[in-house]
Amino acid sequence: MSEIREIERPVPAGRNAAGGRDLRSRIGEIRERAHAFSSRHRSTSVVIGLSLVAAILPLIVLLPPLSGFSSQPVWVNGFTIAGIYVLLALGLNIVVGLSGLLDLGYAAFFAIGSYSFAFAASPFTGVDVPFWPMLLIGAVLAAVFGILLGAPTLRLRGDYLAIVTLGFGEIVPIVFLNSSTYTEGPNGIGGISPPSLPSIAFTSADPWPWYITMIVLIAVSMIFIYRLQDSRLGRAWMAIREDELAAASNGVNTVTTKLLAFALGASTAGLAGVFSASKLTLVSPNLFRFDVSFTVLAMVVLGGMGNIWGVAVGAFVIFMIQNVVLKQLNILFDNIYVPILSDIDFLQYQFLLYGIALVAMMLLRPEGLFPNRRRRRELHADESTLGELGDPMGATPQ
Amino acid sequence: MRLSRLGAAVVVATMVAAACSSTPGGSGGAGQKGTLKLGVTLPLSGGAAADGQPTLKGAKLAVDEANAKGGIGGYKLELMPLDHAVNGKYNEQQAAQDMQTFVADAAVIGVVGPYNSAVGKVQIPISNDAGLVQCSPANTNEGLTKPEFGALNLRKNHPDRINYIRVATTDDIQGPAMAVYGFNTLKLKNVLIIDDVTTFGKGVADNFEKKWKELGGTVVDRVGAGADTTDFNGIITAAKPKNPDGVYYGGVVTSGAGLLLKQLRQQGLTIPFMGPDGIVNGNGDAEGSLIKVAGAQNAANSYGTIAAIGDFPAKKDFDAAFSEHFKGDSDFKTPGAYSGPAYACATVVLKSLEEFLKTNASADQKAIREGVRAYASDPSHSFDTVLGKTSFDKNGDNTQKFISFYVTDPAAPNNGDWVFKEQQDFGGS
Amino acid sequence: MATTAVTTARAPFERVSRRSTPYVFVVGLALAVFALIGPAQFINALTIGAIYALVALGYTMVYGIIELINFAHGDVFMVGAFVSMFTLTTILGDGSFSLGVGPTVALIIVAFAGTMAVMGVLGVLIERFAYRPLRNAPRLAPLITAIGVSFILQNAVQIVYGPSPINTPQLIPPTARIEIGSISIGLINVFVIGSSVGLMVALRLFVNRTRLGRAMRATAQDREAAQLMGVDINRTIALTFFIGSALAGAAGVVQGFYFGNIQFNLGFQAGLKAFTAAVLGGIGNITGAALGGFVIGFVEVTAAAFGLFVWGQALVFAVLIITLIFRPSGLLGQQLGERA
Repeated sequence: MSEIREIERPVPAGRNAAGGRDLRSRIGEIRERAHAFSSRHRSTSVVIGLSLVAAILPLIVLLPPLSGFSSQPVWVNGFTIAGIYVLLALGLNIVVGLSGLLDLGYAAFFAIGSYSFAFAASPFTGVDVPFWPMLLIGAVLAAVFGILLGAPTLRLRGDYLAIVTLGFGEIVPIVFLNSSTYTEGPNGIGGISPPSLPSIAFTSADPWPWYITMIVLIAVSMIFIYRLQDSRLGRAWMAIREDELAAASNGVNTVTTKLLAFALGASTAGLAGVFSASKLTLVSPNLFRFDVSFTVLAMVVLGGMGNIWGVAVGAFVIFMIQNVVLKQLNILFDNIYVPILSDIDFLQYQFLLYGIALVAMMLLRPEGLFPNRRRRRELHADESTLGELGDPMGATPQ
Repeated sequence: MRLSRLGAAVVVATMVAAACSSTPGGSGGAGQKGTLKLGVTLPLSGGAAADGQPTLKGAKLAVDEANAKGGIGGYKLELMPLDHAVNGKYNEQQAAQDMQTFVADAAVIGVVGPYNSAVGKVQIPISNDAGLVQCSPANTNEGLTKPEFGALNLRKNHPDRINYIRVATTDDIQGPAMAVYGFNTLKLKNVLIIDDVTTFGKGVADNFEKKWKELGGTVVDRVGAGADTTDFNGIITAAKPKNPDGVYYGGVVTSGAGLLLKQLRQQGLTIPFMGPDGIVNGNGDAEGSLIKVAGAQNAANSYGTIAAIGDFPAKKDFDAAFSEHFKGDSDFKTPGAYSGPAYACATVVLKSLEEFLKTNASADQKAIREGVRAYASDPSHSFDTVLGKTSFDKNGDNTQKFISFYVTDPAAPNNGDWVFKEQQDFGGS
Repeated sequence: MATTAVTTARAPFERVSRRSTPYVFVVGLALAVFALIGPAQFINALTIGAIYALVALGYTMVYGIIELINFAHGDVFMVGAFVSMFTLTTILGDGSFSLGVGPTVALIIVAFAGTMAVMGVLGVLIERFAYRPLRNAPRLAPLITAIGVSFILQNAVQIVYGPSPINTPQLIPPTARIEIGSISIGLINVFVIGSSVGLMVALRLFVNRTRLGRAMRATAQDREAAQLMGVDINRTIALTFFIGSALAGAAGVVQGFYFGNIQFNLGFQAGLKAFTAAVLGGIGNITGAALGGFVIGFVEVTAAAFGLFVWGQALVFAVLIITLIFRPSGLLGQQLGERA
């Protein structure tokens, strides 16, 4: 168990323990200042941050190691698809990370968003609603479904909630698969229209309009979610995550809070769904199976539950691993000769490597890449001194 | 912060490794003129590997043979397979990305694949925009080629440019063919129809059912059993009291055809078992074949169709060449159901390349790509392949409408095998 | 878990609640199904339900004791099937199965014992290396790890045996039937149902009547108090995993005998259904898990009997959701109030 050590005097920013200034403490000071700035000017910092990311990513892939794998348009296209998962992770983060509601069937909302655009803008129905209003409509529709699917779960606790959401996550694609007359079943609905802007063409050859659109969508979502997080609703979510009974006793309406968590969490999936349907020009039940729900959950956990930038990074990292790195290993080892590795067909080992990566990541860093500070303190309590939020019995079992 | 150090080490290693790798687009390798690539887009990992890997090897055989003869027109050929299976099942999103990769790589002059029709719907718009020829060994959905079924939506920007061709016949040929055979030759009257709820399986079963009813037969039950199904006992028990005298399964062996057959026999139903080319996938020793999964005795009295000329010397030669070429592999050493068609697709693309280079020896990669496409999709050209004489109509469909019928023979060598019975020409029907 | 003031209502290994409504419900359901679909289908339902029940037991035991949804459990079942196949094919070689009754029975026992032992050990190893380090981590971390382990097991088996279905020796001929008067039941069905029920009863006895069983129940109810009473928590949890995984292994043996066919991706679907069964019965409750397994078997086969086979999976979840609406803690879960 942890020993009670002497409580240290707080160290002023910009100085190290001995009172002097060195590189480390200076960096620490800059970090503190940046952090303070961003918490007071959320929207601006999101826009700045994303613009930087959006500008740097396409430039990095022009550099030698990465340019050897694929050309820039292919990379940028990959980033755009990663962006879809970032949107999904942001939404699931509201449900799982902020509100503590274990949702194992998130792909259902993604499906709703996608199919809604398919019904609205394909030769199958003959209708052609433009993309931009459909984004909003898709998000709203997904939110409505969030409420519908969340309602039966209100009385359920913990893992019962998980299995019910898992059930919905299974039922929705099954319905789409078997209702061939209405949904084209296994064939999927194809020929979905791309977005249209006065002077910009959205084609498969040119990745840039899609990329910029995705960055804008992510920025809007992040700003929106930050606003929510900092609002009363956000605090209510965190309250029911930590202790539902105490929250209820303090006047938090758990019913509306939970329903709003589901609804708003689902709305980004609706956005992602509309975008995905348009980019891929196809929707099919095959795209919304349990492994999508699980992948997004892994992204949220890896990123650090509750941390918005964290889950975005987590989404990006996992997408890159699963869809880019693991697929390219064969090509990598065909080009450079390594004695044993070049003879292995890595395609057959994808699952194995991915599974090992997941296990390793969880064992090494169970709190995720960017956990919120409380969690980290809880998990590594015996390694640190007794902070002001310390707990006499050591790490509280989570 | 062990994690960050480990991460940094990995990044550095990757950078070093990749810096040593060659850039795509012609490495100036063995051929005097460089390398051209044949792309392959298939689901190659997880459960889908049993479908994709044998198919890939068909294309690989063609490329290896071409290289053994010194390449084509001075160019060396390189196979570039990309796996669009995610978590063991084909994924349309990954397939779109893969097609983008092919399109962006100027050395790619043609693509073989895909296997699933839904993937075709996603890839055709991309490859059509780029004018890259794409030949599918297995897609059967009519909507991919025929304007009356919506194919023009897939090539909105260049409706007159045909880049997608396929050697598999559409659903409306195989299904009715077996219906006619079952009704007229096998003299069956009441049939149980099961499909695996995929584009191919449902399509071929729908067409079988339509023809069956036209001929006057009755359908005891029409059941959809998703591709993950392993337990068909409930369906069989429900159908038994209705006395079916035959079963038609629309689907492939990875969707459960072998399991269904085995469970039928275990429940005492020895009635004829019929299916499309997805079930004619090798002898009793071949990994993942219907005969192996069900067991040679259980597989007796099974009938399958193949969309090709049967009993044809080139087919036997192909089977032998395939088994010889891949005998050192750890799995999938014998041809699967779509290895032959994939080989045929690759033959078509390579032959188009050869013919084009004869008259345009010094063309650049961009011109080669367009030339190959134009040559392959030209309805006046025909190719000698393991499926017979192959040519493509103005929509990209195979004009060859021969269907061959095969029956299982448990006493054949290798623990039972499929044996050719007869063939019929459905051209014009 | 510091954060749930409201408990997950669970009846960990305790005597089932006195209220008999759930039992009446299940028996009523069984009779209704029997009337609806006839004896042949009913036997099908019982058989497949028995397999699901066996796998569900492991899920529910592990959940009861450490509140982890062990997504790798379905794959332990799958590996068990492969181990059984391997054992039998090694012993039998390529020989035919015209063995007498005695040797057959002996072989079956060997298959069970060997598979259960190996799977038990595998379960303990998984717990030791993948779950124990995360015992105090956020709830979701071991969930992710569990799926990682699931992927590893699946891919390992696929690499060794390939992705296609593999045939297993069916020591009990699938076409053999037992005639009792005018009723004819397949011998294999009797075997499956009999061995599953036998194992479930054995488990129940173990949990309720032995010291180790009592330790398991105590740990599930209140870990700290159990520790204070001298229970070795780590050993008890390891034992739970051993038993749960052994049962999954037994289910794998049975699967091999019944279907004659196994495949590397068997685990996911089976695990999902088993998990549903466990929740349906009240997670943490052994009898509940068994009942849940049978209910799922009934729902699936009834769907097939009425031509709704493709909707089977959806119907199972629908039944689950409706049950949870009326009984939020599952069929046999105790209705505990909110506890501070």
